[in-house]
Formats: sequence, C-alpha cells, structure tokens
Amino acid sequence: MNKTIIININGIVFHIEEDAYEILKNYMTDVKRHFSNSADSLEITTDIENRIAEMFSETLTRDNKQVIVEQDVNSIIEQMGTVSDFEHAEDDSNADANPLNYATATRRLFRDPDDHLLGGVCAGVGNYFDIDTVWIRLAFAIAIAAGGTGLFLYIILWIVVPKAVTRSDRMAMKGEKQNLQGFKKNFEDEMSSFKQNVSNFGQEARPFVYKARDFTGDFFHHLGMFIRGTGKVFIKIFGVVVLLAGLVALVALIVTLVAFVGFGSSRHNDLFPFEIVTSAHATNFYLCAFIVAFVPVLSIMLMTLKGIFNVGTIGKSTGTVFLVVWLCSLGMLIFYGVKIAENFRESARFTQTVNIKPTKNNTYYLKLNDIKYFSHDDSVRLDIKDHFKNMIVIDDDYNGFNNGRRSVTIKVEKSDVKAPELEESYSAKGGNYDDALFNARNTSYVFAQQDSVLKFDYTLRKRPNLPWHDESITLTLRVPLNTKVVIDQKLDNYLENISLYDCRVANKQDSAPSSIFVMTENGLRCKVDTLVTAKKDSIKVDSAAAAQ
Amino acid sequence: MIVENTQTQMRKGILEYCILSIIAKGETYASDIIAELKKAQLLVVEGTLYPLLTRLKNNGLLTYNWVESTSGPPRKYYILSDEGRNVLEQLDKTWEELAFAVQTAIGDRK
Repeated sequence: MNKTIIININGIVFHIEEDAYEILKNYMTDVKRHFSNSADSLEITTDIENRIAEMFSETLTRDNKQVIVEQDVNSIIEQMGTVSDFEHAEDDSNADANPLNYATATRRLFRDPDDHLLGGVCAGVGNYFDIDTVWIRLAFAIAIAAGGTGLFLYIILWIVVPKAVTRSDRMAMKGEKQNLQGFKKNFEDEMSSFKQNVSNFGQEARPFVYKARDFTGDFFHHLGMFIRGTGKVFIKIFGVVVLLAGLVALVALIVTLVAFVGFGSSRHNDLFPFEIVTSAHATNFYLCAFIVAFVPVLSIMLMTLKGIFNVGTIGKSTGTVFLVVWLCSLGMLIFYGVKIAENFRESARFTQTVNIKPTKNNTYYLKLNDIKYFSHDDSVRLDIKDHFKNMIVIDDDYNGFNNGRRSVTIKVEKSDVKAPELEESYSAKGGNYDDALFNARNTSYVFAQQDSVLKFDYTLRKRPNLPWHDESITLTLRVPLNTKVVIDQKLDNYLENISLYDCRVANKQDSAPSSIFVMTENGLRCKVDTLVTAKKDSIKVDSAAAAQ
Repeated sequence: MIVENTQTQMRKGILEYCILSIIAKGETYASDIIAELKKAQLLVVEGTLYPLLTRLKNNGLLTYNWVESTSGPPRKYYILSDEGRNVLEQLDKTWEELAFAVQTAIGDRK
C-alpha cells in the first residue's frame, strides 16, 4: 500500500506515488534551475513538462494502470536526460550567451548575510577578494576612526551592494563553481530561489529608491541585532561591577566586624552612633548588624553570578537558610536595638547656680575656653605641672568636632536681682530616673571667671570609656538691666537665640572678632553704633579686653 | 580540453544541420526528431533537444503548429520557415564543401 499524490501537468491530472513524486519533483527543480539562466527558460521547461506528461499518459495506457510509480519516472528521466547530460551536450554554448550564468569561478560582490556584524559588507568584500574578513573589518575600523570616511564608504557599499539572498548568490559570492547536482533542497526553497534568479534582471536594475528602502529595513534589522549583542555586553559589564561592589562591601563588612568585635569598641565610642551602644550588648549588636548586612550582599552576588554569568546556583535549601539566618539576625538586632534604646527612656535634670562677681563697668566678655582640660589621670601622666609650668596647653578640639554632638548651650537672660549669676543645668538620659540622674551627676563642666572675662568650655566632661547618654548642659547667664555683654565670635556655635551674624551686619563689621550686646527690658539686644567715634571706642575696649 | 571543445563545436553544428534536415521532410514532432537522431547516434537524451528547438525557432528558422493529442497535452509540430529553408540550402552547400574538404584532408592520411 502506497500513498499517492495527485499532480497536474499543464491541465492533465496524474496519480503518482509519493516516492516517484519526490524524484520527479527534484528532477524538475534541477531542470528549471538549469534553464533558469536562459531567456527561454519558461518555454523550454514547459516543453519538457508537456513531453513528460505525454510520456506518462503513454505509459499508463500501454501498461493499463492508473498510478505512476518510481520506475516510470526513472525511465522517463533516462529518456529525457539528466541535467548533467544537458550540460555535457551544451557545454560552453550557454556560457557566453548568458551573462547571468554563475557557473564559472568568477566571484561577485555580495553582502554576506551569514557572517555579518552590521550589513555584511566587510564579509562580502572579504569574500570577493578572498581575504579574511577580520582584515577588512580592521581596515574599516581604522578608516572610521581616522576621519570617518570608512563609515561613509560602508553606508554607500551597504546601499549599493546587493545582499546574497539565494544559494547561487552565496556560491557566486564565494567563487564556488556551481554544481547543479549539488542542489538537493526542498521544492519550495528551490522554487523561491529559482524565482529570485529569474527576477535577477529586475533586481540588478532596481531604482535607487528601492535599494534605499531595503537598506533602511536592513539597517534597523541589523541595528536591533547589534543592540541586542552589545546589550549583552553591557549586562555583563554591569554584572562585573555588581560583583566587584559586592566583594568590596563584604570585605569592608568583615573588616568592620573584626575591628569592633575583635579589638573592642572602646576606641570608637566617641563617634555617633557607636557611642550609643553600651558595652554589655556591643558584641551581639555588631554581630547581628553584620549578618543583617552581609546576607543580602552575598545573595545579590550569588544571584548576579547565576543570572548574568550562569555560574553557580542558589539551591532552595541555601536560599531558605539565608532567609532564616537573616530574619533571626534582624530580630536580634531589633531586640538589642530596643534594649539599647531603653537606656534613653528616662531623662533627668538638675540645676546649680554659680554666682558671678560683678564688675565695675558693668561689662562682661564671653569667651570660649581654649585651654586644654586634663583629667586628673592625664595631668599626672603627662606631668603637666613640671613640664608645662607657666605655659598654656591649647585644646585644638574646641570647635567641638571630636564629640560629634553639641552638648553645651549658652543663653543670656535678664536677671531679676542686681548681681549677675550663671545657672548650670545638667541633663542626661538612662533606663530609669535613677540611672539618668546618675549619668547627669557623672559629668562636669568647666567655667571660669577672670575679672570681667567669663570663659566657657566647649564641651561637657565625662569620664572616659562611659557610653553616651545624651548628656547636655544648658548655661543661662543672667545679667541685670543695661549690662553690656561682649560675645566672642568663637562662641557662635553654642549660643541660643542670639545671632552674632545679625549684629555684625548691623554694625557693618564683617570680620569683627566679637559683638557687643546690651541687656534691655526685652532681653539682649545688639548694640548698634551710629557714630564712628563710638565705634572706635568700642574697638578700643575690645582690644583692651583681648589684651587681658 | 581542446579535443572536447572541438568535438562539442563539431557536434553542435552538425546537430543543428541534422535537425533542420529532419524537419525539412515535413511537420515533425519533437519525439520523432529524437527517434531519428538516436538512430543516427547524434543525440542520446530528449531534454537537450528542447533548448535547441527553442533557439532555432527564436532565430526564425522554425515555426510550429499546435496539434491536439489523444494521449496528453497538445503537441508542438515543427516546420521550417522560409528563412529556415534558405539556411538549410546554404548549410547543404557548406556541408558538401566541408565533406569534400574533410575527405581530401583525411584521404591522404589513410
């Protein structure tokens, strides 16, 4: 039992077995291809087809059967002759008569669609001159880099040079001698290329507009491919950047952890936010913080490896472990965070008042104490008394940078009584009121009066190696009405509700080292000098004060 | 290569002359021409004949008539055109000259 196919040759219907049909189909394809370069191809092939139909009819009548079998087709082909027979008989007769016959070893310039970066121009040129494409590309790259003429030439070639569409185009491009027996492809493919061959005349003479249209279509097609190609490269680069950043982050995290846990955190407890952390929980807190930061960075790196470079995998179990570890660490971090925050739940404040000796001219100079304050231990260790006799050790840290947070606030208010006084209000925080009060008591502040000069220290002192408890001090200077207060510029950062800048502007003295204020009924007011002489006076007074 | 080329050239010229001669006998169908050429051992396969016939026809030496067939599609029956007759007469003369020349040339050798 065999499958039969119904075919129609010039209006006559035949039943033909599938195998026989395959042979006939291939034969006709070869024949059509062979004559495709001839101007009379249609007439010749029609003649041949008609003759085949006639022979089929004769065979069917003679043998009194209905279906054409393989044997019939073979005998007909034998009688009609194969393409090689045709070639042998005609030989060179067709070659010179037909300019489009590619059956020679001459090369034709095509754009190569099989080996291209953009339009296949370089590959085509390489094929034409039988040079490795790399050199052509290199030459174009150099020409583009040196002035851009290469780009222009490339686009021109892209427009002008046709793309190798059919197999014969490709063979002609590569200078391969066409072997008609070599064409063993399916019928549709062959037919389409056959049509291409026939319409080659038209294609050669196509107007420039159509070529340009093809070019633009081609251009965007290739551009898309190019972008897709380079896109991959960019993603790879991005992946490398992510991996490097992750690696740096991991190393930094590990170094930080070792620094804090391994060598102890005492060195760093002056810096916010590490100063908050009490030593009791420090190690646990830092470890949790480390894991909370470490796990996501590691996960991102692993995912980058998997996603972009397709190396390594995060197994389901590994992922789960990561998640659990991370969640546990986060929970513990929050727990210790709350524990540490509890140390700041209560605040306490106590106040003490220091009397200030009144001066004759009712003027006070407020200055920043820039003398280094030594604790008793430090003083003994450095042997200050012997080594720095009659000398002043200047404290470079008076700007307050070393403490990070401002702990001193200075206010100036009107006093109800005649004598001036300074109110020192200490405050601190703690887990409960007792702790907070204790923390506040544990601090000290250095204030000194030298005649009319009031020296304020830049910071609140506390014993070293104690955790931070938001200790602060508010200094309220109360002076009677009409008291003159000269405030040094260096105190600017510690003042509350007093603007030295505004006062300077009002006096048109941008670089004055101090500003003069007077206590009025409505609080402290800037003293604006309207007379130049008065201003000179004040400067004189200033310099006199500075000399002290 | 040269030998093959010469053979092909000789065969080609003679083949066309023979085809014209066969058709000169009267209306002829392609397969009849083939049968005669096979008998004369000039041509082996039928397929090569069709391009030749088409070329001769396009050169104005042949014309054809469509004749209905009982066993297939309509057949092309070829006949010589007036020009074909003139060409054939010239070819007859040329052939006689050639035959004489060849006979003379190879007669001495044998």
